[in-house]
Amino acid sequence: MTSIQLFPKSLGKKGDEALAISWNDGHESVISWSHIRANCPCATCKEERGKPKDPFRVLKPSEIGPLRPKSISPMGHYAYKILWSDGHDTGIFTLEHLRSLCQCEACTKTSSTTAKP
Amino acid sequence: MQPQGSMPKLSLPNIRNIIAVASGKGGVGKSTVAANLAIAMAQAGKKVGLLDADIYGPSVPTMMGITGTVDQATTPLPLEKHGLKLMSMGFIVPPTQAVIWRGPMIHRALTQFLTDLDWGELDYMIIDLPPGTGDAQLTLTQTVPLNGAVIVTTPQEVSLIDARKGIEMFRQVRVPIFGIIENMSYFMGEDGKKYSIFGTGGGEKLAKEYQVPFLGALPMDPKVAESGDAGLPIVAKHPESGVSLAYKSLATNIQEELKRATPAGELPRLDL
Repeated sequence: MTSIQLFPKSLGKKGDEALAISWNDGHESVISWSHIRANCPCATCKEERGKPKDPFRVLKPSEIGPLRPKSISPMGHYAYKILWSDGHDTGIFTLEHLRSLCQCEACTKTSSTTAKP
Repeated sequence: MQPQGSMPKLSLPNIRNIIAVASGKGGVGKSTVAANLAIAMAQAGKKVGLLDADIYGPSVPTMMGITGTVDQATTPLPLEKHGLKLMSMGFIVPPTQAVIWRGPMIHRALTQFLTDLDWGELDYMIIDLPPGTGDAQLTLTQTVPLNGAVIVTTPQEVSLIDARKGIEMFRQVRVPIFGIIENMSYFMGEDGKKYSIFGTGGGEKLAKEYQVPFLGALPMDPKVAESGDAGLPIVAKHPESGVSLAYKSLATNIQEELKRATPAGELPRLDL
């Protein structure tokens, strides 16, 4: 394998709203916490996302305020696990998945030009 | 603060190197390889521990000649035999009793085996994984500072299919693969000819496919099974036999690969 394996050099906070990641290939990612949570890869969240939206769903008290991460912990050498303010913690975000969520201008442009209509 | 139910990396400062012996498929001789490899390393003067991570079907007690369960009030764990420190679920649960556990219990048991027992200083900890890519594999790759893994396969395609899954799993979780071991590679007949019972070259083919080292081929020999069943692995019973010499060469190859391998970097942390 000749390509460099993607690896974060450092993690930081961009205000209260976003996660900042400096990658070993020089890229700087900024990803809002809400975008990360909306793309949680756990089975429950995936299933929820696949369902049609229920406009009459009653929100739980924990869902009323903005969701915030309470902690972010490495999982082995390949992923992070996030504990959210509503107690949800089953999503394991692989490094590749986090990178795919990058919302920097360049990545957003690439994803919008490659997205199918 | 750690997330609820999260699995922080365990700190095992007294264990210098941790090597997982894995396979996708069951019945390829993974436990036999793990046990003999551990003994070969111990015979070379290293301090070695063997952890049987197969909670549902532990093989280490039989292979090491430890019958019955261990009274922990009188006998401290890990046990010591054949120059190894040993731990297995089979030491605490009778062989006739099934361990019917879900994933979180597997995680707890393996974590306790590693952290609550006094392993002392070890040069190598060999972890004999169960077949497949399930809870034990996930727990170990997420929580144990593994240096790498070796994949055991037999030459035939039906075994290679599952070995590929094992390799893919280790790749995904970024655990270095030291290489492929082909077990039951050939049978040496009394006429001095090699007979390839399960075909030839499967292990090498797999190693090429994934660009990982081919660590060696181990012959089939009825003495291997006989000695394992008798509680004295062949490397301990017949250290100068052809099979034992193959194991010794394998142990050397793995140690060389371990020196060459780039250790996986620790992920940076963020305190929120």
